[in-house]
Amino acid sequence: MDRKVAWTQWVAWVSGALIALGALHTALFPSSAQASQGGAILTGRVLDVQGRPVDEAHISIWSADGLEPIAETESGEEGFWTLRLGELDAPELIIEIDRLHFQSLQLRLTESQTNRLLTGGGLDLPPLQLERKIDGAFWAASLIFLGVLAVIALERLHSTTAALAGLSAIFLVTFTAGSIDPDWFIFDFERALSYINWEVIFLVMGMMIIIAIIEGTGIFQWTTFQAYRLSRGRAWLLVLILMLLTALASALLDNFTTMLLMTPISLQIGMALGINPLAFIIPEVLASNVGGITTLIGTPTNILIGAYAGIGFQDFLVYQTPGVLLAMAGMAGYVLYHYREEWHKHPAGISKALYERLERNARLRDPAALWKSGLVFLLVMVGFVVGERFHVVPAVPALVGATILLVWLRPDVHAMIKAVDWTTLVFFMALFMVVGAVQEVGLISIIAGAMARLVGEQLVLGIALIVLGVGTLSTAIANIPLAASMLPVVEFLSGTVPGAHSKVLYYALSMGAAMGGNGLLIGGEANLVTAGIAEQAGTPISFREFMKVGLPVTYITLAAGFLWLVVRFVLMGG
Amino acid sequence: MRILTPTRGGEASLPNQDRAIQIAKERGGELFFLYVTDVSFLDRMASPVLVDMETEIDEMGEFLLVMAQERAQKQGLQVQTLVRRGHFAEVLEAVIQEFEIDMLILGAPAEGALTTMEYLQDLAKRLAEAFGLEAVVLDRGEVAFTVRGEAKG
Repeated sequence: MDRKVAWTQWVAWVSGALIALGALHTALFPSSAQASQGGAILTGRVLDVQGRPVDEAHISIWSADGLEPIAETESGEEGFWTLRLGELDAPELIIEIDRLHFQSLQLRLTESQTNRLLTGGGLDLPPLQLERKIDGAFWAASLIFLGVLAVIALERLHSTTAALAGLSAIFLVTFTAGSIDPDWFIFDFERALSYINWEVIFLVMGMMIIIAIIEGTGIFQWTTFQAYRLSRGRAWLLVLILMLLTALASALLDNFTTMLLMTPISLQIGMALGINPLAFIIPEVLASNVGGITTLIGTPTNILIGAYAGIGFQDFLVYQTPGVLLAMAGMAGYVLYHYREEWHKHPAGISKALYERLERNARLRDPAALWKSGLVFLLVMVGFVVGERFHVVPAVPALVGATILLVWLRPDVHAMIKAVDWTTLVFFMALFMVVGAVQEVGLISIIAGAMARLVGEQLVLGIALIVLGVGTLSTAIANIPLAASMLPVVEFLSGTVPGAHSKVLYYALSMGAAMGGNGLLIGGEANLVTAGIAEQAGTPISFREFMKVGLPVTYITLAAGFLWLVVRFVLMGG
Repeated sequence: MRILTPTRGGEASLPNQDRAIQIAKERGGELFFLYVTDVSFLDRMASPVLVDMETEIDEMGEFLLVMAQERAQKQGLQVQTLVRRGHFAEVLEAVIQEFEIDMLILGAPAEGALTTMEYLQDLAKRLAEAFGLEAVVLDRGEVAFTVRGEAKG
């Protein structure tokens, strides 16, 4: 009995061990496990007409007279697919490819191809191209997308509400009309989520916490006051220093926050000097929109572009800074000319009381927090640069930096989490999905195709089209949704236009989106918030007043940016 | 007599400040310059407001009131200054009650400002009636509108 029990236990142990080994082997070597099944293997790739991979395409193989497919599969992220056919005896084989928002494709295999499969060999088909289908989903998604852009541009709704409303409309179409007729199915929730760029979300979140800590130290107000002291009342010199300072601050913070910090103190300085304060703050806001182009974190559009195209902190700094300096020089020239009468005014002397009040308002509020947050900020910048070498995405140094500051300075965590503007993050997430919807239905491909035909093989034309086209559109349209929708277009052009692999068109997009924001008062939130603060000081900025300076500056800076990109990427080579 | 003049301190408000100073001197009144910090314009922004803007604008308001105070001093009048946060009309009501104001002087909005002359006239009328005070709206230092409410009690 004991021997029987021992034998049974031994069999159970061995069986268990064999099963475990088998499972381990299958887990570790799945292909070899499946390959042992034998039979023919058919592989291929599905692309769209622009040569971009098409994922989630349903591929099936049929015998000419079959009622059921012999085998079926789905294409992967890069459009590749594999069919394991087993034993075949059909004389004629047909491949069928179906994909939402594309026209179905049927391909009859040639006799030699069929024979190869019948003999159990492997066959790799050349890439198969799917044509886009203009279906109900296309029109619905495109109209919703344009509606969202219009509502944001006309300020009928808060941007976040507009993006969420657009997303809800997309799901409503998908799950009502789309469940009755597949031609109206845009995309499901899981697919929508795949369009969210989490790298952007976490980078923005980390930087928001860091900035919230730094802004409270008063460093920017203090520096502005030092600029005033340095200029010794020479208004023309002061405006140049302020523009440079704002551009620098905007490269490190976002330009919206920069203007929140710089505008009140600049208004006070202007009034104290007896000079029209708009001669200071309008040039500042123009400089802030341009200065942010030089770094990955300087503008939200750069964060989007960097994450999408894999352009790092150092790349932006190296390839954009000379163009920005050139643009700033042009801008400074125009600003000095436009406000020339202000510089000839003899500044009124500031009374002791006013000077003291100004000095108090521009004091360093928390020197201890300043050096700690300054050090961490510097380390985060180093992390951006060094991280690129080790494939560490910028969101990581930003999150680590934010955490270090939270641990080191022990600010109120609730206040810091509140400082993370969830409205903006939700806007980004909803926007990514709305733009994803028009990518899904093919609108972006159509725009990309049209632009590719227009540009042909001329890189200079491509740069000009993006810098000037996006720049002009950005004067009136919010540049974040514009840049987000242009990214797939630029990606396509970067793959088709000779010489564009250097990512020059992404840099062109960055310049166009940011510089265009200077054209009109409604061109960027930094402009609007500056106008709001100026109104609080009884010096409202009218639409016309802003345009008289902003529009010429826009085209001066766009021309400078275009010139630099052509010199750097066309004449000097990518 | 207590006179309240809300001001923002821009160039367009200077003639109105001067006129308010003149009226206060003529009537032997105590003049209060009021700055109202209202950051509701930030609600329309999608970008994150990471800065304590109320404090920033308060400080700017204090600075602008020091300028107004110096202006009055040069004309031989000592004035009080107040900075309050909130919606303009609500703040006015609160300050009128707190300081038992007898006269309200409002300045016409600068060119391009969001506030309109009609709004100010309506506001002046409403406050004059509600608190039984005299309300005046100035435009470039000239009296553009005046209304006197019936004294309460």
